[in-house]
Amino acid sequence: MNFPLLLLFGFAVLLMLLLAWVLRDPRKLPQPDVDLGYAEDLDRRHVTYFPQVRQAMAAEDSAFLASRASQALTRRVQRERRKIALVYLSCLRGDFLKLWRLARVLASMAPQVGAAQELERLQLALAFSWRYEMIRMKFLLGFAPVPELGSLSEVVSRLSIRLETTMKDIGERAALAAKLTSSLDGRGLDTP
Amino acid sequence: MGSFPPYVRVLWACSALLQLIALILLFAKGGFRKLPFFTVYVALNLCQVAFLVCVYSIWGSDSPRGTTLAWCSECVTLLAQALATTEILKVTLRPYQGIWGLVWRALAFTSTFVVLIVALTTRGAWVSAGWFELNRGYHLTFAAAVIACLLLFRYYSVQVPAAYKMILGGFCLYSCTEILIHTVMQSLAKKAFYAYEPIWQSAPTVSFIVVLFIWVAALWKPLPIEAPEAAPPSDSIYQRLSPEINERLRELNEKLLRLWRLEARPQ
Repeated sequence: MNFPLLLLFGFAVLLMLLLAWVLRDPRKLPQPDVDLGYAEDLDRRHVTYFPQVRQAMAAEDSAFLASRASQALTRRVQRERRKIALVYLSCLRGDFLKLWRLARVLASMAPQVGAAQELERLQLALAFSWRYEMIRMKFLLGFAPVPELGSLSEVVSRLSIRLETTMKDIGERAALAAKLTSSLDGRGLDTP
Repeated sequence: MGSFPPYVRVLWACSALLQLIALILLFAKGGFRKLPFFTVYVALNLCQVAFLVCVYSIWGSDSPRGTTLAWCSECVTLLAQALATTEILKVTLRPYQGIWGLVWRALAFTSTFVVLIVALTTRGAWVSAGWFELNRGYHLTFAAAVIACLLLFRYYSVQVPAAYKMILGGFCLYSCTEILIHTVMQSLAKKAFYAYEPIWQSAPTVSFIVVLFIWVAALWKPLPIEAPEAAPPSDSIYQRLSPEINERLRELNEKLLRLWRLEARPQ
């Protein structure tokens, strides 16, 4: 089999694999509607605990501990901090996925979708996934030093507050749009 | 027709029978109203069987005239296949106008891309195997385009009714097996085509029979009733919010990048 034929063969096999992947398990597909209220609650919950987390993760606390406590305890704290860094990372990912899904729902409902916007979002998602996996692997394998979580928590905190505002805003707009749509649909028939 | 071995004739008969069942189901369950092009496609396939039986009985399967007529009939059914598939995609995406706009662009892009690949990989083979290459090129383009659409459906969580998914999956499965069979046979043809001729004659029919079983299962129940089309939200909501969300996503990406830098900083 020469190279072009091999290429065609490989392409056909790839198509079959893609077909199997695309058609599998439809029940696990995410539902198109996003529970905005729940998303808001989650954000609010994250934000509530940020001051405590920030204090616990402050660099000064680490330095103080290292000067006073035993090495075993310091190591244990480092491990814990590593775990917390991973949790932060997954929170960041959760925020990203939530927004990403919301954008897809918005696009699926829109009468006209901008290809450039969608492509940009796909690129962002790919870049995010790649970076996320790289950082996560480095944390998991212990190749990376534990970051200054004090400053990091501040970053995430500010971000989450802004996200919360955005989500609330989007939720309100979506609710308004739904209300407008239903009132236009019903033409006032549903009113007593 | 006498030049074909008995098992090939049995396979043809099975295929014709299943096509007939699919056609009866389409009419009995009212599917022909929802999918007129798909109904025409199944009917045309059935007519093609009858046509090929006549052609091969008169001119034989090895005569140039018989071969040309057979390939011409194949062109008609392939065109019907493309129309039937577009019809199903359109029916599925009726409530998603914006996504349909993306899908047809994806179809055009993928088709052009695959046609270019096919043209590049089959350079110089047109004189000896024009019909053969055309057929494979078509199936390659078709499968890639439909799978690209299905990927978009999945990406946007578009709910495709199971029956439509089975029909689309069947089309793709058939196209993919056709490409594989054609490619393997082409490599074998250089060595000993006649030794593998029985496979060449039966494999595509077997794969089509499998697809027909899938379609009969899909058509067994009446096709889903289309959901009433809800008035889409104003276009300005998407136009306003989409860049905003992208901006937030970009920020999140930057946060991750900052985390990467923080992580790289020594303690």
